[in-house]
Amino acid sequence: MAGYDAVVIGAGNGGLTGALTLAKAGRKVLLLERHNVPGGCATSFVRGRFEFEVALHQLSGMGSAERPGPLRAILNDLGIMDKLDFVPMENLYRVYWPGRFDITLKAEREGAVRTLQERFPREKDAIPKFFDLLYDFSMQMIQGLFFRDPQISKEKYPLYFKYAFAPTQKVLDDFFKDPLLKAVLSIYWSYTGVPPRWMPFGDFAIMLFSYIEFKPYHLKGGSQALSNALLNEFLACGGEARFSCGARKIMTANGRVTGVVTEHGDAVETSRVLSNASVLETYLNLMDPDQVPAGTLEAYRSRTLGPSAFTLYMGFDCEPGELGISETTNFITTTDDMDKTFAQWKTMERQGVGLLTCYDVSDPDFSPPGTCQAAFVNLQYADPWHLVPPGQYYDAKYRYAEGMLKTVEEAFPDVRGHIEEIEAATPITHLRYLGHPGGAIYGFDKYTKDTAYFLPTGALVQGLYFAGSWVGSGGFQPTLTSGRSSARTILKSMAKS
Amino acid sequence: MSLKDVMKDIEGYQEIVREIDVLNKYGTDYTAQKGQARQVLDLIHPKKLDLKVSEIIEETASTKTLRLVPANGCLPPFQAGQYLNLVVSAGGIVTSRDYSISSPPNQTAYYDITVRRIDDGFVSDFLLDTVGVGDAFETSAPAGNFFHNPLIHGDDLVFLAGGSGVTPFMSMIREAADRGTNRKIHLIYGSRSTDDVIFSDEIAAICARHPRIAWTLVVSEPPAGYAGRTGFITAGLMHDVLGGSLEGKTFFLCGPEAMYAFCRDELRKMGIPGRRIRVEMYGPPRDVSAQPGWPAGKNRDAVVKVALTDGRSIEAHAGEPLMNSLERAGIVIPALCRSGECSLCRTKLLKGEVFQPEGVKLRKSDIQFGYIHPCMAYPLSDLEIMLL
Repeated sequence: MAGYDAVVIGAGNGGLTGALTLAKAGRKVLLLERHNVPGGCATSFVRGRFEFEVALHQLSGMGSAERPGPLRAILNDLGIMDKLDFVPMENLYRVYWPGRFDITLKAEREGAVRTLQERFPREKDAIPKFFDLLYDFSMQMIQGLFFRDPQISKEKYPLYFKYAFAPTQKVLDDFFKDPLLKAVLSIYWSYTGVPPRWMPFGDFAIMLFSYIEFKPYHLKGGSQALSNALLNEFLACGGEARFSCGARKIMTANGRVTGVVTEHGDAVETSRVLSNASVLETYLNLMDPDQVPAGTLEAYRSRTLGPSAFTLYMGFDCEPGELGISETTNFITTTDDMDKTFAQWKTMERQGVGLLTCYDVSDPDFSPPGTCQAAFVNLQYADPWHLVPPGQYYDAKYRYAEGMLKTVEEAFPDVRGHIEEIEAATPITHLRYLGHPGGAIYGFDKYTKDTAYFLPTGALVQGLYFAGSWVGSGGFQPTLTSGRSSARTILKSMAKS
Repeated sequence: MSLKDVMKDIEGYQEIVREIDVLNKYGTDYTAQKGQARQVLDLIHPKKLDLKVSEIIEETASTKTLRLVPANGCLPPFQAGQYLNLVVSAGGIVTSRDYSISSPPNQTAYYDITVRRIDDGFVSDFLLDTVGVGDAFETSAPAGNFFHNPLIHGDDLVFLAGGSGVTPFMSMIREAADRGTNRKIHLIYGSRSTDDVIFSDEIAAICARHPRIAWTLVVSEPPAGYAGRTGFITAGLMHDVLGGSLEGKTFFLCGPEAMYAFCRDELRKMGIPGRRIRVEMYGPPRDVSAQPGWPAGKNRDAVVKVALTDGRSIEAHAGEPLMNSLERAGIVIPALCRSGECSLCRTKLLKGEVFQPEGVKLRKSDIQFGYIHPCMAYPLSDLEIMLL
């Protein structure tokens, strides 16, 4: 039985940065992944001439080489920047309501304010004030919370203490009257998972602030390039990885991790496991009930499974311009009723808001010459899919996809006639490849009660650590960061023992 | 001050704590969900299937259908045109082969695979000569991307089949007939002779019953006095048989290697855009050294050494896919499409050089980081590989 300093379960974003951080520190690490490629969501697949990006739409927190954001600093530290080629996007997004409304916001404060003022002259004065709040709040949150000011207090950082838990919708209502303006400003919700009515302003503000300040990024080769680079560096540091081989059991004795049994039946000794699987998979299926301390799962009772997604991946036999696609990031909307849109996430109804990303607009090399690709995604819970009998699964998939394609056609009428390859991913597809209950792509729902402040502590298995969206925020930057943080916690505990 | 202390002063904190308290009482008991995700998947995307032969149907002198039923549980749904990867242990070697399902998806009790004897085909020999009713197989779940996609392929379909390449079309035709779909189908079926045409009676019967389904048999080596269509599936023949406008038609192509290049050229001559042509993959070429891009002067019979990072070492032939050489040495790696497409066998090449024919679908960053698809990678020199 071989021994390892740590076994990492799952090669998603958090598993990869976690494994690499440990290997870079000279630890002997085994990385297990049940799929045959690294990345989890951060992956790609090939159909015909196209390599489709699965999940990355806009990478946050990168910043430029001169003005690096927190994620660039981490990737620098991990030693993979020379293998990757990042592409900045100049615009935040376009919000397009076919026949009614069209606006494109720059990823730059003054430009965005000006565009909004031109389009919403009646709210001319309130717009810059809202951006003042957005920026002042974010600066207070960064200085007070992220930089761990020991003197943090309500008096020193009043905006932070007033607004961190405030519903985004309420803040928008305080500033603006036009529901369309509020929808335009908060449209990222439809891609991050909680509608403005319930999204804490703290989460919203810091996200919009950092997309504007650090700009959204993509990278050559897509998110698979990032996953491959992380794995490559892990192997170069002496890490061992097994693919098509997940974990079957985490072994414990007296409340401490003692080893892992792999899917192939090999038992390996270790006293530390970093699980990039969901907390539910880890406690329910990788451990037996008597291994899980009382109260562990009870701490998750207040949580609900978060949304999955339905995505149409389309490869076109022409360039974006021919289809009328002029922006990389397009929110196509047919409503300003965000609550209704959110309610539709639990149904098979055609939805009011979706995100169409055409990578080739900002990176013409993304698809072969003379072609381009787009991903059209709307978030959706798995619930209605669980009610579809298996024999009707493909019919249901095409029916739902047809509705989405019609929405895309309303915005870009010529798309269907140019589609050369098309693939649809349902919540069941996400369940299949991620193994997450409900096919959840961001872990549990992220209402205010679910933010980092309220994460369950309580009885835990000694030596068991987590990384990924089930124990923090969802999305690329948060999950990549979480693996690194958990690995550092592991290294600290190793230094002590 | 820790986060936990700070947050008590944030407006709204008390309400959230109360909300959590209530939910801790009335929220979700996740212990009840143990194993649930896997159960959902087992019905739609099981990891593998255990099947057994319930019946063997003699189709023609060269061809049999093996009817496969689940050894336990039920069969997952599939899309007409998809295939199974069948694991076989023959002649002391564990390997696998892909067979299109010829039964329709609305038939949920069994999957049919239809096997024709091929020259030097030790797997087809085994399936035709050795396998009997009751024998068990492990297979993949149905897989593959050769199917009718209602989002873009329309209802006017032309199927170009060569020999046993008719099997996925049989599934599609049976489905259209059974379900009474709106699809207009014309099968153009190339066969070497007239006496070895798989499914000919059933196809004729379906066409007689369904005005929207038609077929044309094209015989390349006809007997003397044969009155039907002869030769190959040329542009002229297709224009003739299909008549009228080709606008809106989607062409599906499945058959032996030689037919692909030929028919693709013919379709191009007819001005059919690429998006209207769907081509099934066909596995390793008969002679890889005849493929475009094979380096001049390289001998396909050359024997090279392949070292694995775990210390093992095997011999491999340049003219044979690396996966087959590994299997011959008893090293079985994950396999599914065996045509370079699905990437399941993705392996890291540390040293040496391989040839991967046109059409092997590698991710850009997999090329950057040295990954190969051994099912369609041919060793041109001694290699060192890392099985992951």
